[in-house]
Amino acid sequence: MIQTRNLIDEHGLRTDGRTTDELRNVKIQVGIVKNADGSAYIEFGKNRIIAAVYGPREVHPKHMAQPDRCVLRCRYHMSPFSTDTRKNPAPSRREVEISKVMREALEPALILEDYPRAAIDVFVEVLQADGGSRCAGISAASVALADAGINMRDIVPACAAGKVDGKIVLDINDIEDKEGSADMPLAYMPHLERVTLLQLDGILNQEEFNECLDKALQGCKMIYEIQRKALIQKYFGDEQELKEES
Amino acid sequence: MSSSRRSTIIVEHLRRQQMTEAISKSKRLDGRALDEMRPLEIELGIIGKADGSSRVRLGSSEVVAGVKVETGEPFEGLENKGALILSAEVLPTASPYIEPGPPDEETIELARVVDRGVRESEMVDLDKLALIPGKVVYTIFVDCSIINYDGNLFDASSYAVVSALMSTKLPVFEVQAGESVVNTGKRTDPPLTTIPVSITAVKIGDSVILDPTAEEEACMDARITITTNSEGKFAALQKGSTGSFTIDQIKRAAEIARIKGEEVRTKIKELTNNGH
Amino acid sequence: MQEIKRKYVVPGDRIIDGNFRPLSNVTKSGNSIFATRIGIAEATRDGIKVIPLSGVYIPRVNDIVIGKIIDHSSLSWQVDISSCFSAHLPAQDVFGRDFSPARDDMNKQLAIGDLVTARIMAFDRTRDPMLTIQDKDLGRIPRGEFLKISATRVPRLIGKRGSMIQTIEQATQTRILIGQNGIVVVSGRNGDGTQLAIRAIRMVEEEAHTSNLTQRIKTLLNVPDPQPTETLTEVAESEDQKLIPETVGQVQEELEKGD
Repeated sequence: MIQTRNLIDEHGLRTDGRTTDELRNVKIQVGIVKNADGSAYIEFGKNRIIAAVYGPREVHPKHMAQPDRCVLRCRYHMSPFSTDTRKNPAPSRREVEISKVMREALEPALILEDYPRAAIDVFVEVLQADGGSRCAGISAASVALADAGINMRDIVPACAAGKVDGKIVLDINDIEDKEGSADMPLAYMPHLERVTLLQLDGILNQEEFNECLDKALQGCKMIYEIQRKALIQKYFGDEQELKEES
Repeated sequence: MSSSRRSTIIVEHLRRQQMTEAISKSKRLDGRALDEMRPLEIELGIIGKADGSSRVRLGSSEVVAGVKVETGEPFEGLENKGALILSAEVLPTASPYIEPGPPDEETIELARVVDRGVRESEMVDLDKLALIPGKVVYTIFVDCSIINYDGNLFDASSYAVVSALMSTKLPVFEVQAGESVVNTGKRTDPPLTTIPVSITAVKIGDSVILDPTAEEEACMDARITITTNSEGKFAALQKGSTGSFTIDQIKRAAEIARIKGEEVRTKIKELTNNGH
Repeated sequence: MQEIKRKYVVPGDRIIDGNFRPLSNVTKSGNSIFATRIGIAEATRDGIKVIPLSGVYIPRVNDIVIGKIIDHSSLSWQVDISSCFSAHLPAQDVFGRDFSPARDDMNKQLAIGDLVTARIMAFDRTRDPMLTIQDKDLGRIPRGEFLKISATRVPRLIGKRGSMIQTIEQATQTRILIGQNGIVVVSGRNGDGTQLAIRAIRMVEEEAHTSNLTQRIKTLLNVPDPQPTETLTEVAESEDQKLIPETVGQVQEELEKGD
């Protein structure tokens, strides 16, 4: 990670004008893939990601079914036009790894024992990537799983924090990812207060590590509110109207 | 090796009955006439990082196409032309019957038919896209991601590719010292000569109907995709599925494709503001 | 009734604190009950539950479902019941105990693509659901318009003691078959009545969770309204009553008369 410029200017503003504690713009739409059992579209900064869930459904091939619980399958995939340089459509090693950590981030929140011998498929498709796409993907996938009516202990928000120009910042973008000195994505179950995904690229001392963790956690809580609002909006209409009704 | 297999969608007997009854009265289950296309929506520029992009909705079928322009070696035998590379992927989000994995014969056929329509009509003037002939040319990648399947992916993908190309802002490369090329940072409109439009029809019983839904495709015995250019000339054709057409049915379908093609072309121009 | 902190819930929402019994679509953790699905939280005499607003149909023994024949082996038909499991209907159920694949032609009774009303005879965590069409009012559906709604909206479509569905049937002169799995078949003597019934069904599906739905349906169908309206939660309480066989029974009788 060779830094070629200042990533935080003299006013404390980052390359996209944000302060160190600011989250990028996040928008979530629920139920946008007609054929899927549940789906969500997320705009997270410049990330544009679709998550679609099919399930619970029959397992094919049959021998992959488990007798006492549901099989969870996740696929994180990037469209060829999603990155700066055109990407080959075949799955890369990075996509395979992210598919795995994404599944491990979502699995603790799902009550898989309720659907023995069935499968739940989660497809995360990145149409445009801009740093933090795995966190955006997990956040969208959680909403899609709730939309599909799967029994869940919690909704899982995900957000990254990092170190840029010596400072710990919230939600690093693409440039900060490439040129900054640390990147820590985190996924969290807010009611159970448990971490389900944690990775780190870069170097942090103990103090920076703790600060980074706290900051990513803050980000997760902000994203959770947006996820919740999007679901309430789709199923129950305007939250304001609801309050007036009751 | 290609082998027969039973269609994965089994249409309810009652629905088939309803469909046949409706077609005998020249209507379809969604109320359309036999030669009526579903509503077409086009949204441009949704992938800001790509050089051109478009999202098309044809009824409930939804496709996103993205254009990425780079430089590279020309194809063998085509040393003085830019390279155009088109691919398509039916994402596993599109339908409960899609399994993730390498493209199957249906997806490959889809990509090649859409490619043929664009290439044979010479929509992009590749002669204008050579930089150092024989060594460095513009390489235009057009990739389609199919997000939701409700029939007629041929036309939906074709319209997505065409509108994405029409709205592409081509990065301008310059040759320096005859040896290397550099991105000037400027942008220009791509050299386009025509707007190819594909129209797909399927045969159900003895009737030929346009723009099939997924259910209609599951009941069809044959399919034909016909691409015309802005002058109403035929540029590409593909017959698909295991049934057959009479010569008259094909001539009739070709005529409808030309006429309907012009209607759709007008719509595409309108929705893309002619590419701007 | 106990007071619930939040009525509209998403997974993970805390519904109530205290020593209450967790019923469906909730989980108990420590001294609190949490929702596990999107829906409407309800407190009843027996405990706390969430009425779900989305989710694939999960089979239950004794449910009446409408299924589509998709294949058959030598001994049973495979039936798609729009669930996470394929169901099977043993040939013996139709042909009797002395069924012989050599002599009895399964396709003559039920062909691929046929729709049947069936009851789930057996289903547990270790095997696929098994169906029967032997009871009164079950069997092949010969005609009608087919549509699919979310299984979670079926109780609302039926209504308390069948009130909603009967209102629609009477106003549109149709007979409506409903499977607990969300498959609906509407048959009527005239096309307009059938189309109006379908519009009403779609409206119920979309607005199941709102209040005053019964009123709006009656307006759509041009029916005068002397009765008080009911909500999704009131309907859910009557869920356990045997509503479906009555409705299916009416339809099959009519169809048989008309043949």
